Amino acid sequence: MTSTSTRDLVSQPYKYGFVTEIETDKIAKGLSEDVVRLISGKKDEPDFLLQFRLKAFRHWLTLEEPDWAALGYPPIDYQDIIYYAAPKQQDKKASLDEVDPKLLETFDKLGIPLSEQKRLSNVAVDAVFDSVSIATTYKEKLAEHGVVFCSFSEAVKEHPALIERYLGTVVASNDNYFAALNSAVFSDGSFVFIPKGVECPMELSTYFRINSGDTGQFERTLIVAEEGASVSYLEGCTAPMFDTNQLHAAVVELVALDDASIKYSTVQNWYAGDENGVGGIYNFVTKRGQCRGARSRISWTQVETGSAITWKYPSCVLQGADSVGEFYSVALTNNRQQADTGTKMVHVGPRTRSTIVSKGISAGHSSNSYRGLVQIGPGASGARNYSQCDSMLIGDQAGANTYPYIRSQQPDSAVEHEASTCRISEDQLFYLQSRGIGFEEAVSMMVSGFCRDVFNQLPMEFAAEADKLLALKLEGSVG
Amino acid sequence: MVNTVLAPVQKRGQANLEKLGLPTRRQEAWRLTDLKRLKAMASLPHVAGADQSSWPSVDQGVTRLVIGTDSDPLEGIQLPEGVSPLSEAELEQALGHTLDRCGCAEVWPVELNHAHSRRVLALRVRGSVAPLEIVLAAGDGLIATRVLLLLEEKAELDLLQVIPAERDNAAAPLAHSHVIEVHLGQEARLRHGLLASASGDTSLLAHLAVEQEPRSSYDFVSVCRGWRFGRLEPQVLQVDGQATTRLNGLAMTGGDEQFATHTGVCFQGPEGSLDQLQKAVAADRSHSIFNGAIQVPRAAQRTDASQLSRNLLLSSQARVDAKPELEIVADDVRCAHGATVSQLQQDQLFYLRSRGVAADEAAALLLKGYCCDVVDRLPSVAPSWLASSAVKDPARPL
Amino acid sequence: MIRPDAELLLDISDLHASVEDQPILKGVNLQVRAGEVHAVMGRNGSGKSTLSKILAGHPSYRVTGGSVRYRGDDLFALEPEERARLGVFLGFQYPVEIPGVSNLEFLRVATNARRDTQGQEELDTFEFEDHVREKLKVVQMDPAFLERSVNQGFSGGEKKRNEILQMALLEPVISILDETDSGLDIDALRIVAGGVNQLSSPDTASILITHYQRLLDEITPDYVHVMAAGRILRTGGRELAVELEQIGYDWVDEQLATEGVA
Repeated sequence: MTSTSTRDLVSQPYKYGFVTEIETDKIAKGLSEDVVRLISGKKDEPDFLLQFRLKAFRHWLTLEEPDWAALGYPPIDYQDIIYYAAPKQQDKKASLDEVDPKLLETFDKLGIPLSEQKRLSNVAVDAVFDSVSIATTYKEKLAEHGVVFCSFSEAVKEHPALIERYLGTVVASNDNYFAALNSAVFSDGSFVFIPKGVECPMELSTYFRINSGDTGQFERTLIVAEEGASVSYLEGCTAPMFDTNQLHAAVVELVALDDASIKYSTVQNWYAGDENGVGGIYNFVTKRGQCRGARSRISWTQVETGSAITWKYPSCVLQGADSVGEFYSVALTNNRQQADTGTKMVHVGPRTRSTIVSKGISAGHSSNSYRGLVQIGPGASGARNYSQCDSMLIGDQAGANTYPYIRSQQPDSAVEHEASTCRISEDQLFYLQSRGIGFEEAVSMMVSGFCRDVFNQLPMEFAAEADKLLALKLEGSVG
Repeated sequence: MVNTVLAPVQKRGQANLEKLGLPTRRQEAWRLTDLKRLKAMASLPHVAGADQSSWPSVDQGVTRLVIGTDSDPLEGIQLPEGVSPLSEAELEQALGHTLDRCGCAEVWPVELNHAHSRRVLALRVRGSVAPLEIVLAAGDGLIATRVLLLLEEKAELDLLQVIPAERDNAAAPLAHSHVIEVHLGQEARLRHGLLASASGDTSLLAHLAVEQEPRSSYDFVSVCRGWRFGRLEPQVLQVDGQATTRLNGLAMTGGDEQFATHTGVCFQGPEGSLDQLQKAVAADRSHSIFNGAIQVPRAAQRTDASQLSRNLLLSSQARVDAKPELEIVADDVRCAHGATVSQLQQDQLFYLRSRGVAADEAAALLLKGYCCDVVDRLPSVAPSWLASSAVKDPARPL
Repeated sequence: MIRPDAELLLDISDLHASVEDQPILKGVNLQVRAGEVHAVMGRNGSGKSTLSKILAGHPSYRVTGGSVRYRGDDLFALEPEERARLGVFLGFQYPVEIPGVSNLEFLRVATNARRDTQGQEELDTFEFEDHVREKLKVVQMDPAFLERSVNQGFSGGEKKRNEILQMALLEPVISILDETDSGLDIDALRIVAGGVNQLSSPDTASILITHYQRLLDEITPDYVHVMAAGRILRTGGRELAVELEQIGYDWVDEQLATEGVA
């Protein structure tokens, strides 16, 4: 194309790629029943949880790793992974001032200041470092409203009844290979509980930071909104650059009772591997929301730009009558990334509705697949689904694949699906430039325009960040 | 003559079938298939077809060829000018070429056909010729038939294939395995219709492989109904893009029937176009499956492809599985697809009823409108068949 | 024209109805005799459209109380197509498009269903074509519209004329025209109104649901009813329509307030 080819502008070096030097408690590599017991022991868990883990582990042993995703990756050696690594600090500090300054500094560098003066004022943050929760801000304020927001490990200690009632009820341990693995060795994650009728007063956010190489990250998140409750939750993550791959197999469960609503947003910026596809995170996540109650609503909004291999299908089970499931996604792949992502909307109850808006942007030599399932069961009379999957191709080496499955057994329902592809054309870029808009900004405008429907769903603070992130990731790919 | 060319094909086919074994659920392309019925079909005795009594007489100006019987389809037939059979040497060279190019030479239904076909009807078409009708005869058992068509540059043909398989429920099971390869030379035009209307215990495996040279045009309309078990797989390859492909299909199922349509279109060059409309109607406890794959690799810039899958569910026990699939690498393309699943529209029904049209007649009118959209696109040679078969009135109990 | 001893075609008594569990009609009372033209006016949300849908038997609307007798029979005991065949005609506000179903065929089937009920012979395809061409003149429509799918690609005015064409073919006893004038320019309005007038007789009656006075300039009503909050609030002669045009509907709120209704 032009001489100031966008390809040259490339690769803003991944600026989160540093490693924090800190003492870490690690166990030896490998996975066995002893390791599972060791993990449970280190966390001092009640017996029901140990049994939960053991049952999942035994089931995992009987399963075969799935290989149907349109992905190619060298086999993962499950024995060559460390299943527990925690920064060596004592119990969670009562006050942030007691937290190891190096950790605070880490989060500062990441743009997530935790100290009292600098924290984001309307977002409560649970900072997780190598799968261990370091600090949670605003706990007292939230407690005034009856909202519980803490690390999963803390929740096990302080609200074991809630954990026992809801854990594994949305994603059963035997649901799939990675869910079984996670259920056996999960380290930490976030727990959110919003009691009846409470509208959570602030955004809740968990920020995951992977620090150790060789470790697998197995977060477990559980969010429960009781009748009439609502919450907006944001998940963010980064990781340093290593030249081996790391496995991230998380499980997220959401439960919404009658008239409750949960909004779950993710802005993913894992390290993607270098231009040659060396290194990078393997991101295999099972995320499922269950609209258990009538008129409940669960929305998934995600902006995926990182990770070498992404395999995730946030889904909604629409059980309660008149419940609503939504999925808004922007997935960007560049260089040699591979993404196979999408959503499952399973309509069980009557008059349930689902909306899917998926925008894929493929650049470089990457491969971006959308795989969706809309299933209308026999009890879902009056169900409605609308899906829109659009792909933007940048350059002619990247691929965009779309596989929307529709399965319907209920005539009194309507499913509509549309998809289209487009590109950033020279003509369009030139037009913007001829009106005085710089090249980079023009690309950014067009991509943002393409993603507008999805960005509008993100909580305000993060919509702007998502815009910038996309622009960053795409530099150098047009031309 | 034909036997010397076919014999090795049959042997390889039989060997490969054994090696492959029956397809299993783990294979994506067979995940939803009723494998029991597939197996039952494959184990039927191999017979030759007969029964031409209920067929309508041939239209004026149309040449009818009957395959699947014991006799040579060309015996005693005056082929229209421009249509000639391939010589043995030509056949040897051409047979299987298109299947290979389309990547389906070794799929199970094709190997089944290789193993059992005793004849190939192989024709070359030169220039613009009179319409042809190829009728696949029926019989109590499994009949395997195979066709090869080569349309030279600028040739033009209207072809209607009919598989009349309506029989009463008491009759013995009937199965048909059919493979047709078509090569369209540059600027050749083929309007191809397939009318497969059945009833009773009937199974169908029909595989089409079509290779299009640049600037050729392929217009395919399929209407299938009443098969207890059926799978139709049209695969089209535009060898260097720049061609026009139109695929229209209507699949109607009722009772406990299962019918699957698996289409594949691949553009191996730029500026090709595809306009695809697939409609399905599923009644009673039947199961309708559609899988529409479209591949637009890097070399296929400026491809213009669109696919619409419309599915009508008439009862709460019927089931529809629709999976459009797009794989796109070229970026300067226009590729759109859409799918809908619904029932007959309430407000349209009410409008008709408010004008005095009884509820079931209103539903029949709407259903007919829905189906005729595709049925009316069958090549002009169809009317006499439509007048006689159940397809004409799609509102009749499926 | 009002004749006190004309046949009582429609007797609506204390009618209550709801849609999606939302009560809309809250006690409508109305009597329509042969030869009469009734205008029903009111703001959006007053229940006018719901009344028409209930009379025609639309499945989304539920009767929750009261009764309607059509020529002495219980109207609600009849299916929508039975009501149509017995001479009840609803002209829709938004006639739906039905791609794939030919307008000509649809009209023929509907016409024959009505003829059959009236003891007349059904018309075959050729006879019907002649018959319908005659009727096209009533609404000044081009025969080309017969070839198209029902209402598909028709402009608003063309759809409304298609409705009146159906009236001409079905010869209803009572016609309920739901905002037939909405979206029409003055010429189209005159054609539609002209058609309605041409089709009316001492043995038939019409209920015109409308917002605006101007349709009533073309079709003279015998009674004007004002609907609000699901009931008929006030009834008058045609001067009432003129009055409404001048003073608007604000008085309705006042009256509802005094009656203690929201």
